[in-house]
Parts: sequence; structure tokens; C-alpha cells
Amino acid sequence: MTALVEIEDLHTEIKLRRSVVHAIDGVSLSVAAGECLGIVGESGSGKTMTALSVMRLLPGGGTITGGRISLADTEITALTEEQMQQVRGNAVGMVFQDPLTSLNPTMTIGDQIAESVRLHRDASKATALERAIEVLGLVGMPRPAERVSNFPHQLSGGMRQRVMIAMALACEPQLLIADEPTTALDVTIQKQILELIDGLRQRLGMAVILVTHDLGVIAGHADRVAVMYAGRIVETAEASTLFTNPRHPYTEALLEALPERAAEGAGRLYNIPGQPPDLTAPPPGCKFAPRCRYAQDQCKESEPYLTAAGDSHFFRCFFPVGSFEAGDPGAGRAGPDDPVAASAPAAGTADGLDAAVGLDTMVGGADVSPGGASSAGVSAGGPAGRSAGPPADLRAADLRAAAGAAAAERGEFLRVDQVVKNFTVTSGAVMQRRIGQVSAVADVSFALPHGSTFGLVGESGCGKTTIGRLIVGLEKPTSGRILLDGHDIARQSRRDRHLRARAVQLMFQDSYASMDPRMRVGTILREPLAIARDGSRAEQRRRIADILGEVGLPASAVDRYPHEFSGGQRQRLGLARALIGGPSLIVADEPVSALDVSIQAQILNLMRDLQREHGLTYLFISHDLSVVRYMADAIGVMYLGKLVETGPADAVYLTPAHPYTKGLIDTVPVADPVAERAKEHQGVVGELPSAIAPPSGCRFRTRCPRAQELCALEEPPLRPFTSTAHQAACHFPLREPEPGLVAAAEPAGAGP
Amino acid sequence: MFLENRLAIVGVVMLALIFGFCFLGPQFYHTDQIHVNLGNENLSPGAGHPLGTDVNGYDVLGRLMVGGQISLEVGLAAAVLATFLGTLWGAVAGYFGGVVDTVMMRLVDALLSIPTLFLALVVVSMFPPTEAELILVIALTSWLTTSRLIRGEALSLRVRDYVQAMRVMGGSSARAVFRHIAPNAVGTIVVNATFQVADAILTVVALSYLGLGIRPPQTDWGGMLNSGLDSIYDGYWWQIFPAGIAIILVVIAINFIGDALRDSFEVRLQRR
Amino acid sequence: MIGFLIRRLLQAAVVVLLVTMITFILLRAIPGNVAVAVLGPASYRNPQVLAAFDREYGFDRPWFDQYLLWLGHLLQGNLGFSWTLDQSVSSLLGSHLPKTIWLVGVSVAIALVVAVPIGVWQAVRRNGVVDYTFTSLSFLFYAAPTFFVGTVLILVFSVKLHIFGPEGPQGGLMDDITDWRDLTLPVVTLALVTIALFSRYTRSAVMDNLTEDYVRTARAKGASGRRVLWRHVLRNSLIPIATLLGLSLPGIMSGALITESVFNYPGMGYLFFKAAEQQDYPTELGFIIVVAIAVVVGSLLADIAYAVLDPRVRYIRLWPSTWRPKTSCQPRSLPPQGSRPARPAACSCAAWRCSWRTGSRSWAWSCSR
Repeated sequence: MTALVEIEDLHTEIKLRRSVVHAIDGVSLSVAAGECLGIVGESGSGKTMTALSVMRLLPGGGTITGGRISLADTEITALTEEQMQQVRGNAVGMVFQDPLTSLNPTMTIGDQIAESVRLHRDASKATALERAIEVLGLVGMPRPAERVSNFPHQLSGGMRQRVMIAMALACEPQLLIADEPTTALDVTIQKQILELIDGLRQRLGMAVILVTHDLGVIAGHADRVAVMYAGRIVETAEASTLFTNPRHPYTEALLEALPERAAEGAGRLYNIPGQPPDLTAPPPGCKFAPRCRYAQDQCKESEPYLTAAGDSHFFRCFFPVGSFEAGDPGAGRAGPDDPVAASAPAAGTADGLDAAVGLDTMVGGADVSPGGASSAGVSAGGPAGRSAGPPADLRAADLRAAAGAAAAERGEFLRVDQVVKNFTVTSGAVMQRRIGQVSAVADVSFALPHGSTFGLVGESGCGKTTIGRLIVGLEKPTSGRILLDGHDIARQSRRDRHLRARAVQLMFQDSYASMDPRMRVGTILREPLAIARDGSRAEQRRRIADILGEVGLPASAVDRYPHEFSGGQRQRLGLARALIGGPSLIVADEPVSALDVSIQAQILNLMRDLQREHGLTYLFISHDLSVVRYMADAIGVMYLGKLVETGPADAVYLTPAHPYTKGLIDTVPVADPVAERAKEHQGVVGELPSAIAPPSGCRFRTRCPRAQELCALEEPPLRPFTSTAHQAACHFPLREPEPGLVAAAEPAGAGP
Repeated sequence: MFLENRLAIVGVVMLALIFGFCFLGPQFYHTDQIHVNLGNENLSPGAGHPLGTDVNGYDVLGRLMVGGQISLEVGLAAAVLATFLGTLWGAVAGYFGGVVDTVMMRLVDALLSIPTLFLALVVVSMFPPTEAELILVIALTSWLTTSRLIRGEALSLRVRDYVQAMRVMGGSSARAVFRHIAPNAVGTIVVNATFQVADAILTVVALSYLGLGIRPPQTDWGGMLNSGLDSIYDGYWWQIFPAGIAIILVVIAINFIGDALRDSFEVRLQRR
Repeated sequence: MIGFLIRRLLQAAVVVLLVTMITFILLRAIPGNVAVAVLGPASYRNPQVLAAFDREYGFDRPWFDQYLLWLGHLLQGNLGFSWTLDQSVSSLLGSHLPKTIWLVGVSVAIALVVAVPIGVWQAVRRNGVVDYTFTSLSFLFYAAPTFFVGTVLILVFSVKLHIFGPEGPQGGLMDDITDWRDLTLPVVTLALVTIALFSRYTRSAVMDNLTEDYVRTARAKGASGRRVLWRHVLRNSLIPIATLLGLSLPGIMSGALITESVFNYPGMGYLFFKAAEQQDYPTELGFIIVVAIAVVVGSLLADIAYAVLDPRVRYIRLWPSTWRPKTSCQPRSLPPQGSRPARPAACSCAAWRCSWRTGSRSWAWSCSR
């Protein structure tokens, strides 16, 4: 296929006040018509900059300093600004990440879409509006003729993104660039949008550049993939080849850091030590060398050249991993157990604060984990985890069984019993009138044994955060009990509140917002101890130093401010602050959602280690099913305030009974192209209904492919399926309950 | 950070010079500001009177110094008082929220609808003013905007994650207010207080210009302009410009300082 | 939209009611005999008149009753009687209020027409010579007291250059409209300070909006810089200006009072000042109520303009994923002198935070979640 878009040796710089950021350092790509190229990388890798460079929409101070970009016969880099304005929106369309802020709040969506048409096709207002309605229908918006005069704030997130896509497509572009189009959306909506883009690509024969950090999305929707790191492309391949046979160490490391890879082996996640390099002063030689476990001296001195492996697989590495393919020059490579690898992570970490990476350094076989499948061993054969097959599964199941049994013996620690939380919605200028009630949590019950992890998973608005806040004491339940070690902490006196504060702590999603920006780390960490009046000053100082060491931060952190740390380090601080009072239960509310994959792996590993060491119990709240599956012993799936399924993690994940759970599992993108394409396309349809007036009977029925009349009349109770512990609330579940299992009078939690 | 801002340095220097001029000046440059000297009236600038004399024979330069003392004192004191009142009111309203907040803020709304000068004039017409009373009157009419500002801060700070985190740790409301909300609001309060000084000076000067401020023989810059207005037809420019320019310089200097303070408080939080 | 309007009207009514209470408190706070103060010093010698006054206004009854009586008088249009001018306050208002409204109206209109383009120009050519010049000028005019500016203008244009008369038009409203030459200097005086304030706000609002995401989307559609500015950014930038207008009305009225005094322009402000000089309380208090009502009405109009510009505030709708209701967080505090923009209404999260962006040297609101 001839390439429609060609990028040759692109260099882009951004001038800051005192330095220059080399955002893109020699990127070459090509995309053919009808093909989808995925550009994947972590934050700071330059993938967004590449997309913006193609559109020549660089932020202030940004310029293309070298290279060529051509679209069909036009050389984009040589155009003047006026000519470029003719190209934008016309031959190239772009979809941005956040549809709420990317749409003009004071213009109707019809006008915004029509603007594109009027600019490039010289159409009259009426014609342009007609085209807008037509395109809205194309992107799957219901009743487009009515909605065309709506404003962006009247639409939901998924609808807004459809509007963005419609805007980009209005003039039938040859190339569509999508920059993280689904990151801000719920996972079920995400699938709808991605499928929409795929369908449109095939129908209109466009080329698509899909920029994202999510490997699962790439696996399911990209034909070819380019992996970027620090402004360069480190590997390009067909999607299927990339995931089964990555050649560049960075790609391999990324794949190994994914929770879904490690979940089956129950091993530790591989985490990439250190930080991405500072692009104002990039290191010489291979940019990944400081963090690469296979790096040698040659890597740090000279840049690796482009090597080909097969006709469409390219990478830049002196010592690639993976199996040799035909035509591969195959330079010699040191094995992962090579002693050199041990010294690599310690060298040249970009930031002194990370020198004490401590717990998380992966050094060959020194890494001991319950599963025994150390990352080094698994990587030798290529893709992580997948080759392990049945033995790993059984091993994992055994482990969980052992852990669960041990936990069950220690007895129940936290029990949530028929908790209901309603929020009143008020409105009115002079006096606040009640205009409705939001049913945020509707009769939820579950239990956690000591030392286990319970994962609460669901999309936005399902009530999982509210449950976290109820347990921690930030809200009072409207009815129901929350029992901690037998004591009802929902109805409490002041004294009890202090006791609860010592036993239960919260880890926030955004640690930066949860720490007073004017306080130094030392004061922040001291605060829980000061409130509890725990120990003398000297003891407290010692505790602080100890806990910093445990979470892998240097002792010098005490004098710094929170804003001086990176995202991952701040999460460590959050964890440290939660731990310092010696709690028994930690509620972690989306602790890793805002982090890059490699940092995520560090934090998850840290949480696991600390759990083992201190005997902690975790309530892990997340929307990311793969992370929850990796961390949790038992899972609870919530939808619109109701617990629809609960049970041991493997049982829920491998043998789901509730259609919503199955839908979630199907829609979560996994980093395996074969599995992705084999997925059923049904998934979950439609939009989330309002929480003020939830659907009668079963709340999921409006989006359920199996819904029938009974579902609207009667609310389904929780019934057991594969075991007493595995329960789901559905009239027409996906599997038959095991005969002989009696519905437990009270729902139970983890432990098969 | 504050000191790096060139305009701030300029502002501080200017203010220091003006304060020195007004408060220390009369020590070195003696003039009689009490007794009318009708033989010397309306002299243009020249020997003995660098800025000439006004309609009552007072030396303009000396009057500029002495008048400045009153303008500055009233401005500063009124601003401090207004900030204190406004902060208290706004903090209580913002922290407690609900009915308390509604009632308190509706009152502020109502008072705000009456333009400052109108309200001040009514009060001044009821109680002939002394310097202390002027301070009170101006403070009582300017605390409103401060209270709105602080209430907004209190409302937003109350729901900040770090306040919630502290509650999870078992912290009390008192701790929330003193350890977290107040220090984070200090920046806003200080910046607002700075601008209040400028506002207060402008208000007291306006009152005196209208003849309802400080009574003679005391005067301030506004009073000087009052007597100066009658003589513009005669072209006695020296009776008008010095006071006006002095006011402008002071207010500009305060604005520079306020802007720089605002920069320095926020940058510290934004620096990553 | 209707719901929004009704809410605002109710709020306005409550505010006006509170104003009457405040005025009543002021009335009762008058030192000495209230009756004498209201009726004038001459009445001191006439005890019958004083007694009649006390009866009519219920001064022998509890306070609350007095207030209600007084409120009743107000509602009937009886704002009192000015003993200095020997006219009822309402008739005084009838003849003088229109002049003030005209002065303020023309000044504000001119200020808007001049300030907005200047602000836009400054934002587009930020940190250039134009920007610095206008910023310095704004600082200057914002710091200069209104009466000083007026005096200087009279000195230059009237005394020295003899272009305009030294006083404002002395006749009725129709004279003002036909004899606009003499009105020029007062309007310019009042407008200059307003221009200084509004141009700085426009500048920071436009600068903020230029960095918003939707501008990037518009450019991605192929819109030119000019189109982006006029069709996208301007409308969004006018939103905080509408709010600012409502908030700065009291200040503008105070400025009008001063301007009228400088130019001897017989509007309501000038009359009020004269009344204050002579301790004519009925006039003062009556005028206060009316000026407060004028300010409230002005704010209401500004809010309506705001609702026209910003569609988000017209609809209160709750979306499933953001079930926290859109609280109408209308900005209330007049920002300190300088460039702090107004907060957008109808924020969909509970934690908006205004912070200083050193890059664009301006304030910007963002959601801190």
C-alpha cells in the first residue's frame, strides 16, 4: 500500500523561557489509506507532539525544526499558515482528549460542526447545517435533527466525543488524528467510540493515527503500532507482532508492567525504574539506556541505528530482546540474568530523589514473590505471562485459595451491611428547596476478612467512591450498618471517631490535592500522629523516617513540599501518610488511575509488599478492572448504586454471571490483539441513566441485552453461583447457579 | 520572589519616600499650617514657597506633607479595620454555610447596593467627623468586598481534599480552620488588604474633596483639591496638581506592591 | 431561562427589602430629635407639627411597627419631604434622576465600546509596546481620583483651550440630549476610570480564553486567527465583563456623584451631596433607597445579559455522571484592583478555584478536582 501520510525525520522543539525542550527527535512514520496507526507511549514521550506537528498546531514556543511531513502530494511542512488553514479540518481532522473543554460552550453543536463545512466548502448556513445533521447521524447520535441546536453542556461525555468526531469528519478528511480520544470516558462508552472510529475508517477509507497510552486500546484497534519514548520511535511493528514478539526492551518492559499480564502468574509487576529523561538536556546515546535492564556501555555512548526484523518490523536497539525472525541481523545480546543488568538500574536515574528506588528495583532472580514466577524468568521466552498456560493458572488459584483460607480463619474485619446513602439535590436562590434525591448507594452489603483485598469496581456514578467515603467517615449513611471488627462505626460518638481514625485510613486518587500545599512533607506525615497524640516528637520523627524508607522515598523528603515531587512519588507519600498511624484497613480510592503504566506498577507492587508486611486489609476502589483483578482477592461490581456481582476475583473474572460484569470484562481493552479481535461485539449499549430517577426493578435493565419484562417489575436479589461466595443479582444470569447452593442469608466476601 | 519583581521594588521605594516626605518632612521644613495668613495668599511657586501658597496663605508644600499624614493614616487604619471585619464575617459565613451563610451574605448584598460614597456621606452628615470617625466610616463601608472574597475562599477551602483528609485522620473543625484554611487564605487576605488601602485612601480623599471629610484647619490631599478647585479659573495650577499627583503616586505604588504580593503567593504553589 | 429570571427577581426583591431596613436603621440613628431632623430646624419651635409627625410615624410605638409604617409610606411613593428645597423627595427625584441615569448610561456605553477593543488588542499583542502603554495608562487612570481627573480636564479644555464649558448642562434631560457639548467633559471623566477597569478585565479574559482547548479545536478546523478571535473568543470573554458590569455599578454611581459635583451638574448625585452638606435627612435617605434600587435593577440587567451570553446558566440539568447539581456560583466579590476576572457560573463541580497563571500573567478559574 502506498503511504498516504509520510513523516520523515521530524524534529520539533519547544522554546521555554530558559531552555529548549527537544520534544521530537527524529521521528519517521508512514500511514496508508484505510489503515490505523497507533502511536503509544507514556507521558512526555512526544506522541501528542507528533500529532500536533502533523496539524502544525504546536503550542506557543513550538516549532518544527527539521524533517518533512507529507500528506498525499502536499508537503505540509512547506505550507504557509494560510495554506495550512485550508488543510486543517479539510484534508486532516483531529479529535482531542477532553470533549468538555474542547467544545466552545457558547455555540450550539450544530454551529460548531457547520463551521467546518462553511470554512472549506463555501456552503450557505442552511446547507452547512444539513451536512451537520447528516454527520451527526453518521456518528451515531440519536435524533440528530433535534440535538443539533443543543449546547455542549447538555450532552453527556460520550455524546460530546461523538460531536468532536463529527466535527473532524464533516469535510471528509483523508486523515483522522485521534489524540487520546477515550481517556476521559467510561470504559463502556470508550468501546462504543473506538468502534465508531473503526467503522468510519472502513466506510470512508480514511487513514487514522490513534495516539494513546493504553496498550489495550492499541491492541484492539490499530493495524500497526509505533512505540515512542523520549521523542523517538523505539519500535514499529504490526500490532499482532508487537504484542507477541516485542524486540525493544522498553516495549517488553511496558508489556510486563501491565497488570493483566501478571495477574495470571500472580507475580510481581515488572516496573521500570527511574523516570523518563529530561528533554531539555537529553542523555547521549540511547535515551532508554539509563532505565534499561540490558544496557551496556555502547548504549550510552552512541545512538542505536534502525534495524529491520521482517518487512514491517523496525526497532532501534543494539541488544534487542525477543526471538529472531527471518532477515534479522540479530546482534548478540546479553541475557536478562547477565550481571551487567544488575548495575543498570542504579545508574543515571534522572532525579536524585529516585535514587532510593528501594523496594521496586527489579534485579533478576533476587526478586522473590509468592508466585515464584519472577519477571526475569518469564521474560526470557518473549511475551510475559501468556506462555505460562494452565500451570500458572492453577498456581494462582492455589495461592488465592491458601490466602483466602488463611484470611477466613482470621475472621471478618469489615462488614458493610445494607448500607443506603441518598443525597438530596437542592436548588433555589433564596431558600434551598429539595427537588430530588440521588440514590448513590442502594442497599449494598459485603464483607472483608483480615489481610485481604477487596476490589470495588464500576464506572463513574456507580457509588463506589461514596462507599469508600462512608466507610472512612466522610459521609454518614442514610441507613444500614458498617461494622469494623464488630463495632458499628456508622453511628458514632466522638471518642469512637478517634478509634475509627486509627483503624481506617484513606488513600486519595490525587495525592497532590489531598496534601496541604503549604506544609512540608514532614509536617504532613506528622499530622496523623499529632492528631492522635501518639508519641513524643522524637518518636514521631523516627516513625516518619521509617515510613519514608518503607515507601521508597529518601529521608531528605521531609523538608520538601508536595509540589516538588512527581506523580508516582506523591502517591507514595499518600500511602505513607495513610500508613503512619498504623491502621488496619486502608481504603484506596483510585490510587493508580492517574499514573503511567510503569509508575502504576511500582505503586501496586509497593502496596502489595506493605500489605504482606503489615497485615493490612485493602478496599481497592477502581474503574480499571485489570488492576482490580491483579490486586484483589475478591471483587464487587457496582452499577448505579447497586452491587450486581461479588465473589472471588478469579470466579468473577473468568466465570461472570451478571451481564454487566461480562460487559465490563468485554469492553476493557486488554493488550492482546488476538483476544481483542475475538471479543464479542455486543458489550454494553446505551448511556448511563440518571441516578435521581433510576430505572425500576433491575437498574441495569435499560442497557442489558438480556432484559425482559420481569426485570422492570422486580429487583433481582443476590444469588450464589459457582460457590456461596460468588453471588450475582440477575433474573436471567449468564450461567446457571450450582445446584445445591442455598442463597446465603447474608452475603459473604472473599475466600472460596 | 516578591523582591525579584522590579515593579514591587519601585512601589516599595516610592511608598517609603512618600511616607518619609509626609511624616519626616515637617521636621525639616517648618511651615505654619494652623494660622491663616491672608497677606500671602495665592503666591505662585518661588523663593520661600517652593510650591506656592493657597487661598488662605498656607504654604502648599507644607500642606502637602501634613495633609499626606492624614490621608495615609486614615487609609491604612481603615483598611486594616475593614480587613479584620470582613475576614471575620466572611470566614464565619463561609465556614458554616447554610442558613447562616445565606443571611449574612444577603445583608452584605444589600449594603453593597448602596454605593460607598452615598453611605459614607449619610453617616458623615449625621456625625461631624474627626479623624477617628472617618476611619470608622470608611472601614464600615469597605469591609463588604473583603467579606465576599473571604467567604468564597472559605467555601472553596472547606471542601478541599486536604481538609477532608484531615477529617479522616480524626482532626477537628478547629484544626481545619487554624492549621489548614487560615494559612491558605492568608495570601488572599494580605493581597486584598493591600488593595483596600488604596481604595480607602481614594475614598477619604473624595470625602474631603466634597468638604465632608477632615475639617479645617486640618486638611488632607482631598481638602487641598477642594480649595484648589475654586481657583482653576485663575490658573493657579500649583494648588491642584501637587495633591493630585501625590494621590496618584501612592495608589500606583500600592498597586505595584499588591500585584507583586499576589504573584509571590501563588507562584509558590504553582512552582512544580 | 424563566426559572433563572424568577430566581434573580426574588433575590433582588429581598435585597431591596433589606435596604429599606438599613435605611430605617439609619433614620433612627440620627442624633437628636428625629422629627426635628426630618422636618427641618424651623419646626423646632412648632410642637404641634412635631407631635403630628411623631403620631404619623408611630414613634411612640415599638420599633417594628414603626418600620412597617414607614415601609407603608415608601410603598405609597411617599419618600419624604425635603425641607431645604421645599419639595417632596419623589418630585425631586423625578426631575433629577433622569439626568443622572443619562450621564451614567452614556458613560458606561462609551466605556464599553472603547474598553473592549482595547482589551482585545492588548491581549492579542501582549507584552508589546501597545500592551505596556495601555496597561500604564490604566494604572494611571485607575489611581487618579475622579475629581482630580475632572478638575484637570476642566483646566485644560475649558480654562486654557476654551473648547467646552466648565459646567455640565444645567437644564433638564432634553437639554442634555440636544446640548451634548457641555456634557462631554463629565462623560469623559466618568468614563475614563471605567475604561481603565474594563480594559484590564477584557485583556485578562481574552488572554485566558486564548489558551482554552476549544480555541485549539477551532484552529484544528482550519479557522484563521482572526475568526477564532471574533467568533469564538470574544463571546466567551464578554461573559465575565457582563458580571463585572453588574458588580461595578455601585462604584460607578459613586463616581457619578463626584463627577456631578465637579461639574455642577444637577443630577441626583449633586443633589444628594448638597443635602448631605445641609443635613437634609429625608432627601438623603430617600435617595439612598432609590439609588440602591437603581443599582439592583442595573445588576439584574447585567445578569440577563450574562444569561444571554452564557447558555450554561440558563438550564439547570443534572447529568448522570455528574450528579452534583450545577450550583449557580455567581461571582459576588468585586475583585481587588487589578485583573482578577469573574468566576464562570454554572460550574459542574463543587470546587472551582481561581489561581494566578504566571505564564499569561492573569487569573484563571479551573476545577480543582
